[in-house]
Amino acid sequence: MFEIASTPIDSVALQTRLAAPDAGAAVIFEGRVRNHHLGRPVTRLEYEAYDELARLEGGAIVTETEQLYPGTHVLCVHRTGMLQVGETAVWIGVASAHRQAGFAACRHVIEELKRRLPIWKKEYHPDGLAEWVNCPAEAVTNAHDNEYHSRQSALPEVGAEGQARLAAARVLVVGLGGLGCPAALYLAGSGVGRLTLVDGGRVERSNLHRQILFTTAEVGAAKTLAAATRLRLHNPAVEIVTRDCELTATNVRALVAGQDVVLDCTDNFTTRFILHDACHALGVPLVQAAVHRFEGTLDVFRRGDGGCLHCQWIGRDAADLESAGNCAGGPVFGPAVGVLGIMQAAEAVKLLLNREGESTRQTRLVNLLDNSWLAIERPAHPACPVCGRIDQLRTSVAPEKADAVPLSLDPAQLAALGAAATRIYLAEPGEIPPPVAAGVQIVPSTDLARVREFAAAGPVVLTCRHGLRSAAFARLLRAEGRAQAYVRHDSTG
Amino acid sequence: MADKLLRLHVRFFAVLREQAGCSTLQVETSSRTPAALYAELQEKHALSFPVALLRVSVNERYADLATPLNAGDRVVFIPPVAGG
Repeated sequence: MFEIASTPIDSVALQTRLAAPDAGAAVIFEGRVRNHHLGRPVTRLEYEAYDELARLEGGAIVTETEQLYPGTHVLCVHRTGMLQVGETAVWIGVASAHRQAGFAACRHVIEELKRRLPIWKKEYHPDGLAEWVNCPAEAVTNAHDNEYHSRQSALPEVGAEGQARLAAARVLVVGLGGLGCPAALYLAGSGVGRLTLVDGGRVERSNLHRQILFTTAEVGAAKTLAAATRLRLHNPAVEIVTRDCELTATNVRALVAGQDVVLDCTDNFTTRFILHDACHALGVPLVQAAVHRFEGTLDVFRRGDGGCLHCQWIGRDAADLESAGNCAGGPVFGPAVGVLGIMQAAEAVKLLLNREGESTRQTRLVNLLDNSWLAIERPAHPACPVCGRIDQLRTSVAPEKADAVPLSLDPAQLAALGAAATRIYLAEPGEIPPPVAAGVQIVPSTDLARVREFAAAGPVVLTCRHGLRSAAFARLLRAEGRAQAYVRHDSTG
Repeated sequence: MADKLLRLHVRFFAVLREQAGCSTLQVETSSRTPAALYAELQEKHALSFPVALLRVSVNERYADLATPLNAGDRVVFIPPVAGG
């Protein structure tokens, strides 16, 4: 419960109200008027609240805190009016079953009040002068001190300009697990301007050994909220945006659009492909890591620079890989996800500073059991349907021969092929295909194997949204000896 | 020519390393492609992982399973990894 009081706070009465038989801990914080501020003496403070908004926001903070720390009960009172030195300006009491959640919740309430409550204070000085201070604005201004990042901006590779670039940057972190936690922590520390966190999960006790943003106090809480709280304490200058949901084919574009770098810290191939393809389509660099027990992989994908995720898995889709590679819930060496997550943060910061070097053209393999590190060149695959490297494809499959029969069919030629031809619409991962004509097969563009099956049975006519993948697929099929592979340039098949 | 054995450096990653029980191997083989080499190693080391779901790199560069192998090549078999 949150209240605003214009008369002195009665701590004893509030403690009585907080009492509950199931609460083994009561943590109380009192914010008091002190006699100095920023080196100047202060004689008294006058608080003024935007009353309605302050009550709403204060109530929201209390509710949010009780959700973040399950099992806590919060009582909070903020004063308005004239207060003398030593008087209580804000009183926060948290009753909880155990002390950990109580301390954490109490800390959360005061930090959020300082950050969000629309309350101003007027400082009176001994010389008779007085000035208004906006509490939330003060909290943010204090955070933007140069000293915080001074040991980083002193690097010649960063400098004041690089630091400013980081402060203007928007970074999306998808997944707040063993990778996302350390990645987000180091990104916040580096001073990126805005961090958006996406995860629909709740903190579980079995997460804690590696998911370093969370403590035993947050078990059961939404990961995004718990992480945001921790990251704001770590660097108040960073704007933290939370999305308490899973990443899906439906929301991915909205989440990726406008970001400068995206970190894939998820644990399954389905999400990895959806996120990769959205980043590819929107031209946003993607830093992807994955871990199996003691070992991990790191890839930096940037459109047009090195191979993409599909280049590595030509003809195989997320479902195939999921069956073999997904070990969500399996054993994991905490430091392995820690190292890989921090490497993701490092790559993201390097991308923002234009210092990514060879990272965008390599897969790095890291083994923390035998300490072996390996960089593998990741060129674009000439048959990759996503990269659509048609220039390379031409040189690798002798285009004169492959294109002896034109790839493209007009409606009359299409009619001539008749029912003998299988018409296929290649749907991009996450794409909702347009209405197609009767008899048109919709095949995921990641499923080269299925297209090959159709091509082996007879003529195929391919279309897709932009015409690039269908052309690349058709050329590939011709290179494999399927002369009757065609494309048709409209998206309804 | 076909009988001549190639000496190769093989590295396994993740679940393959666990199945093989080692990270690295020196092999002398009559196999001439990563696909043939993997089939040979599958038998020798009881690797159950399907070749269709592997990536392979030769001399620190992703390669097709049909890439011709030469003496001294470094071959890494990389299964899909998705944990996070």
